[in-house]
Amino acid sequence: MFHFPPMPSWDGLHPLIVHFPIALLLVVPIFLLIAIFLKQDRGRAFLISAFLLLAIGTFSVFMAVRTGEAAGKLADRTPQINAVLENHEKLAENTRTLFGSLTLLLAIVLVVPNFLGRPEPRPAYVGSLIVYLLLYSMGIMALVNTAHNGGRLVHEFGVHSLIAPTTTGPAPTDTGDGE
Amino acid sequence: MSRFLRSAVLSLLAIFVASSAFAAGSATTLKNLQTAFNGESNAHARYLAFAKQADKEGYGQVASLFRAAARAEAVHAANHAVVIKKLGGTPEAKIETPDVKTTRENLQAAIKGETYERDQMYPEFLKQARAVANKDAIQTFNYAKSAETEHARLYTEALNNLDTLKGSKNRAYFVCPTCGNTVVKIDFAKCPVCFTEKEKYETVS
Repeated sequence: MFHFPPMPSWDGLHPLIVHFPIALLLVVPIFLLIAIFLKQDRGRAFLISAFLLLAIGTFSVFMAVRTGEAAGKLADRTPQINAVLENHEKLAENTRTLFGSLTLLLAIVLVVPNFLGRPEPRPAYVGSLIVYLLLYSMGIMALVNTAHNGGRLVHEFGVHSLIAPTTTGPAPTDTGDGE
Repeated sequence: MSRFLRSAVLSLLAIFVASSAFAAGSATTLKNLQTAFNGESNAHARYLAFAKQADKEGYGQVASLFRAAARAEAVHAANHAVVIKKLGGTPEAKIETPDVKTTRENLQAAIKGETYERDQMYPEFLKQARAVANKDAIQTFNYAKSAETEHARLYTEALNNLDTLKGSKNRAYFVCPTCGNTVVKIDFAKCPVCFTEKEKYETVS
């Protein structure tokens, strides 16, 4: 209980990684919405939090794509699995491109006031974040569709990554003397 | 103390049993790889002979398909050989003289061979390799199984349309140099089996 389970190899990391982008990138809009409703000086903290979540989430998308390719090479293959896997991979690459761009864009939104030397006018601030949220919804669509295809591979087709063995020997047996 | 000794003996025994099982598993993987290497090497030679016969009979497109499949089998043999060497073995193939008949019969023989590899040989080898978690073996068997599935489909298609293919010219097929995936057109950015960039696909005709 108080020790780490064995660390999977690179090919087996995919199932561990994929949940990070799903969780992190789906909560970013909540922080953005809070930032929209608050005054700019108070909302900036939420904007920075959103950016940090987005940056970590995007990094995990990059990791998920790389580990996914490694896992895919070892996955069971049938023509049906190949079709879903190909779609999953294409969507994952689109997701990576979209969130890479969205991260860059939010970084620009964050640094603009520094260049201006003063806060943006509120309509411009709110407007830019609403436009950003609309763009973000494209990323979310790509993300959830990628996740859906990944879920199909696992739960519909039974495709699994190789995981590290939990023990080097047989499971312990009851010796029968209560010890 | 006696409890400690008993635990120590049991642990050593467990390690010994696990090590023996792993060694036996690796030996089976190596044997399976040798079988697959021999099969792929022979298939390579056989398909090249079938291609010559198809050209002679005026089935240019079928000849191209045989040559593309032969290239794919060479890729598989090379992949298997790498893993055999990693496991400390030496790749060995006993190349038999191909039994060349008419193109129709050659296609039927090819379908039979590919179907056996797709449905029996590679699934069994994969199951065993997965049981001992040999990733290199899983990958090379996986690549081969995927390509053999496509070969069986392409051969079946050719056999079904053989009459219309009489007098056909050679045509281009595309073969992945990493996994041997064989396609009639490249409509993807990366190989759907091994994710190799499409630019690396080889054209065989």
